[in-house]
This record gives sequence, structure tokens and C-alpha cells, in this order.
Amino acid sequence: MRAIVKNGVGVFHPQGFLDGNASGVSFLSIDDIHATVHSNADIILVSLKKVIFFNRNGLDTFVKMFLKVRSENHIIVGFCDYDKKKYEAIQKFYKDELTFSLFKTQEIATLFSSNFKNQSKNILLYSDDKSQRAALAIELHDNGHNPVVAQTKKEFDDKSKKEGAYDFIIDETYLGQIGQQVATRVTGNAIIYTLSTFLDAEIGNSFNIAYHNNSLNVGFRLFIFDAYKVVSMNVHALNFFSKLASSGAEYNATICFVGMTFEKTPIAFKETLEDAGIMFFDQMNDILENKELLDELGASSAAGAKTKRPLNKSIVSELPNFIDATVATIEMMTNSRASKEAAKVEEIDIKNKENKIASSIGFYGDIDGMVILVFPIDIAKKACELLIGESTDDKELILDTLAELVNIVGGKIKTLLSDEKINVDITLPRTYPDVDALLEIAQAKKGVQVDLLFNDEKFLFFLTR
Amino acid sequence: MITKNIIDTYIEQIPPAPEALKKTISFLNAAELTKAAQAAQDDLALSSYLKELVNKPIFGFKNEVSNISQIFGILGVEKSQQAVYNYMITLLSPSKWKMFQLNRNSFYNLQADLSVNWQKILHHLNISDKEIHSAITLLPASILVAEALFCQKKEDVNLLRSASAIDLNTILQRLCAMDLFDICQAISQKWEMDAKIGVIVQAASGVKPADDEAINILGKWMHLLLFYTLSKPSYIEAGLNDFIDFQIDYVDDIYSEFAQVMERYLS
Repeated sequence: MRAIVKNGVGVFHPQGFLDGNASGVSFLSIDDIHATVHSNADIILVSLKKVIFFNRNGLDTFVKMFLKVRSENHIIVGFCDYDKKKYEAIQKFYKDELTFSLFKTQEIATLFSSNFKNQSKNILLYSDDKSQRAALAIELHDNGHNPVVAQTKKEFDDKSKKEGAYDFIIDETYLGQIGQQVATRVTGNAIIYTLSTFLDAEIGNSFNIAYHNNSLNVGFRLFIFDAYKVVSMNVHALNFFSKLASSGAEYNATICFVGMTFEKTPIAFKETLEDAGIMFFDQMNDILENKELLDELGASSAAGAKTKRPLNKSIVSELPNFIDATVATIEMMTNSRASKEAAKVEEIDIKNKENKIASSIGFYGDIDGMVILVFPIDIAKKACELLIGESTDDKELILDTLAELVNIVGGKIKTLLSDEKINVDITLPRTYPDVDALLEIAQAKKGVQVDLLFNDEKFLFFLTR
Repeated sequence: MITKNIIDTYIEQIPPAPEALKKTISFLNAAELTKAAQAAQDDLALSSYLKELVNKPIFGFKNEVSNISQIFGILGVEKSQQAVYNYMITLLSPSKWKMFQLNRNSFYNLQADLSVNWQKILHHLNISDKEIHSAITLLPASILVAEALFCQKKEDVNLLRSASAIDLNTILQRLCAMDLFDICQAISQKWEMDAKIGVIVQAASGVKPADDEAINILGKWMHLLLFYTLSKPSYIEAGLNDFIDFQIDYVDDIYSEFAQVMERYLS
């Protein structure tokens, strides 16, 4: 069984009875655990929504997987989607060994992840354990939310009755050992990493370099390290950040440190880092509220114009694979014919920008580039119907589903290319609510533009670097 | 991926029930076990299937039973009819499984597991209607249909399911407005099985409760039994645990009773 990874949250969905008949072992093969470790998810969860019965033996296999994944990836692991009875049963089974987390719902778990959504939410929270209350509040605050802690059950009950006062209400949730991974969050077009305490050789393990590289590939150019809580840095960490800065230079990326003090860190380190191109600021708002500076640092558009890279022969020769993957996916999802119309190499050209949405996915490895799909919204709706299940006008839901669709296209591209011994990885999909948002990234980029037909309506495929 | 045409062709290609089988069933319906055994013996595949089935450990016979009259005699009318129907369903099984990691033997085991536990449930519910006893035999047909329709699309399905938690039944329903259980019902009609059998299995899908409350209750028990069975290690490993969605709310009100029935037989 494999986890479904979406927005950085990987979820397993076992069904039925998780009991002592070694069923847990059957759910997770060694390959499955290996795939989970390498999934790049920020959180790994096991949903108990469709589990009607479990005992400790049944949960143990998943718990073993949790420990392995956490020790290798330093991420949050735990169970989610349970009722009060299941919550109490798990607490009872594991008592003092409860090192993993418990989230009442998957949605609550995502509040603790560094995904692109769910930010600045007003959250009411309660736990009968005082230290849990504090831990939950701190984590939520660190992830950019506004937690309100109820000190008593009565206060919680009273406050939770107020309709519309809170975006989320959290109870029956438990934070186990939080991985020491460097927390990540996205603000506009900047990525903020939160560092704390002592920075040493361990930073190489706790920093998710794959995520960072993906972000560069997707087009992020400004990376801010929130270093208010850093006590000191040693030479290993210094080397790490210097290397990070020089590898980002290829993308014209900027790295900033905010709130770093040099009381216990040699001031010479600051000079070394500045030489590597890293900038230092006292306050986060010095950057985030200064639009001019943001523009200068490359955060106004998620892809700097300086990163224009020409298409090359190796990527264009694979064009049929990219088109096939796209056409096959749309056909698979709709049972309708999609076909290719005209292809040309030029800058992206979108006639009639009204009522169109777009999505993109990057790939990197033996060859690298980005596939962009632009759909009239009605076509997007049709293409996503299989995943949504019903007709909807909820644009956010359509965009969300379009991201899944592009993810499937990316997966298909990966498979088709690997048949030709070309290995690529795909980045997280991105969606754009309108054409202007897309053009911020894609304008002036040269690429292959292919008009595709689906049910006699056009949509656009654009392959660029 | 899969169109209504593909489904229609699939149903069309299902062979009619062999003559010997029809005869066996009609004699069983008339409670004429000896004649039924004679008819069954004419079909070598059926008689060898019956021998293999009843000698599985789950049936608990100490000595090997090899004579068909003896088999029907031991099983009685209801279980004999069930066994013959089980055989009919195996006629649909592929020579090589691709979608699920099953084989001839493990599929027979699945049939036996379901049948034996269904007997326990019906005994508990005090139901002796032989058509209801036989209804369980149609349930594994949903797995065979899923295998037949999706085996060429395994990679596409895996890709789709890596992005979204969507079960095979829902994929089919959304693409073709027809699901695995509709196809099972169509099979039962083609084979002239009692109409009740198809209706119970539809309710057992968990997503289409029947209007008739009595049928609905049977559907709930069958749905829960299916997931009880598919939670066994060998079926999880075969990839069957999530081929359709388990509707936990649907079976909520019978869960404790179900657990008691299963426990009683375990102890």
C-alpha cells in the first residue's frame, strides 16, 4: 500500500480490520516503506477513517514505519481521522510510548505542515494536558496561524459554540515528537525556513534539500531563513549555507537571514556568508513589507526573467512523449478523444485570456523543463470530473483538482521517459487562477506551444525551460 | 479509459451457463440430491471443483470427500447450490491475474472464506432461504469484473490513484455511469440466477442501499463480511483491500453484532 501525497501530506488509507492477524505487515511491504521515506512529504499520516476495528498489533506495523520515516526524514508522523473512542484506545495502547502524533482530522494535520495553503487561520485549541496545549500553540504559531488556547474544557466548549469565530477548532489532537526538520512555509513568492537553537552538521540532515531544489525548479527565487531563535552556528553549518548559496546562484536565487545575532557566533562567519551572497536583515517585515526590496530580491515574479534558458535538442526530441502523456491523461480522465492540432516554437501566446486557468509542473533530472497547460475553465471542469465526481463551480476545488491532473500528467511523463532510460523527477504542481498569474512566470519564455483539441475545444500545451 | 461499450462487450462475451450446471441447479432446487449429483458428474470441471472446495480446511472435514453424491449429501441443498454457484463464478476467472495478485487457488480460498462465514451469519440471523445463502457467491464476481476491465489499465489506474484516493468502483461509475455491482447483477441475470441474489449484492456494494429493509440488512452484513475477509493478510497483499470503498457508516449499526458472531465461532 502506498501513501497518496498531496500538498506535502502523505496519507495511507487502510480499510476494514487492523488486527493481530499480521494484517499490518501485509499493508506495508519493505518497498512501501522505502517509497514513503523517499516521498518528500512533510507529514506522513495513516487515516483511520475506514478502519472499523484495530488493536495494538494492527497499529504496530504503521508505528514502526513512522519511527523509520521520522528518523530518516525528520518529519511529522501519526494517525488521523478518528473518533473519540479510537483516540482513547490509541492513548491507552501506547501510553508513555506515544512518540507519534494524533490529528483528529487530516485537515487539522495540514495546519501543522508547511504547505502552500491554510495560512493565517484563526484556531481554537484545547487539550487537557497543559504541555500539549503549549506545544500545539507554538507549532501553529510557527506555521503562521493565530492559535487561541482554551485553558479549561468549559472555556473550550463555550468558545467553540461561537459560530464563525474560528476557522478551525482543535481538540483530541496530540503532538508527538516533532521531527527536527527545518520548518518551511510559503509567503507569496518567498519561502521561509525557520531555524532554531544550535546550527551544526545536523543541518544537512534536517534541511529538506529536495524540497528546496524543487522550489528552485518551480520558480521560487527568494528564500528567507527565520533565525530569531538561533543561538549559534558552527563551521559545518557555515559550510552548508555557503554551498546552498552558491548552488542557488545558478538560478539567480537570493538567500536572506533574518534576526540572526552574532553574540555567540564569530562575526567572521557573517562576512563569509555575505561573500557567498547571503543577505542579513534584522526584522522579517524589513523584507516582506518592502515591495521594492522584494522586487529586487526576485520575489515579485516567481521566476526571474534572468533564468531564461533555451530549449535544447534533447528536450524537444522528447516532445512526442510529453504530448502523449498529456493527451493520454486527458483521454483517460474523460473517455473522450483529445488530439493535437498545431505546434510551433515561440513565446507563449494566449489569445483570449478570459475564463482560463492554468497549471504547470516541472521536471528535472537527465533533462529538465516545465510543462504548462492552459484550459478554458469549462474544459478544466470536464477534465477533472472523474476526480471531483460531480459538477462544481467552486474555482478553488477545480484548481486543486487540476493540480492533481497535472500531477498525473507528470507521473505519466516520468513513466514514458523512463521507458527510454531517461530519468526525471517531477516537482510539485502549481496552478494559476487566471492567465495573468501564469504570464508572471511564463511570459517571454520560449518554448514549444501545441494547440490540443478536446471535444472540439482548444486547450494549450506549452513546454519550456 | 473504460467506456460503456467495453462493459457491454464484456457482458456480451460472458458464456451462457453450461447445460450440466443448469440441470444440477434445477435438481437441487427440487431437492433431488442424487439426480443433481449425477448431472454434476457430467461436468468434469464442476465435479473436480466441488471436490477441491469441500476438502479445503475451512470446511473442516477430517477425511477426504470425493464422491459427488456424498458431497451434496454432506452439504445439504443450500450449501450445495452455493457451491455450484461458486463454481459458475469461477468460469469468469482469468487464466492469469494482472490487476490483483491472485491465482486460482487463492480465489477459491476467497470464495470458501466468504461462503463459510456467510453461513454463520445467516445461521445467526435465522435465515434459511437458499437463494439468500447463494447470494454470497456473486460477491467475488465484483473482483473478477474489476480484474477483467482494469487489467490492461493497471498503470493508468495506479497513476490516478497515486494522486487521488479513488476506488475502482467509483472510477467506473464516473466514467460509464455503471459500476462493478451493476455488472455483477447483469451477470446474475444472464445466468438466470434468482433476482434476489443480484439485489442483495447491489446493497452489499455499500453505496446503493436497497429500499427493502430486509434486503438492506443483508447487504450491510455482506459489506462488512467482505471487508472482514479483505482485511486478511493474503487479500491485502493481493491488492484487494481498497479495490472498493469500505462504507464504515453503512455498517455501523451491525458492527458489534457482527463481531460477536465472528468471535463466537473463533472461540
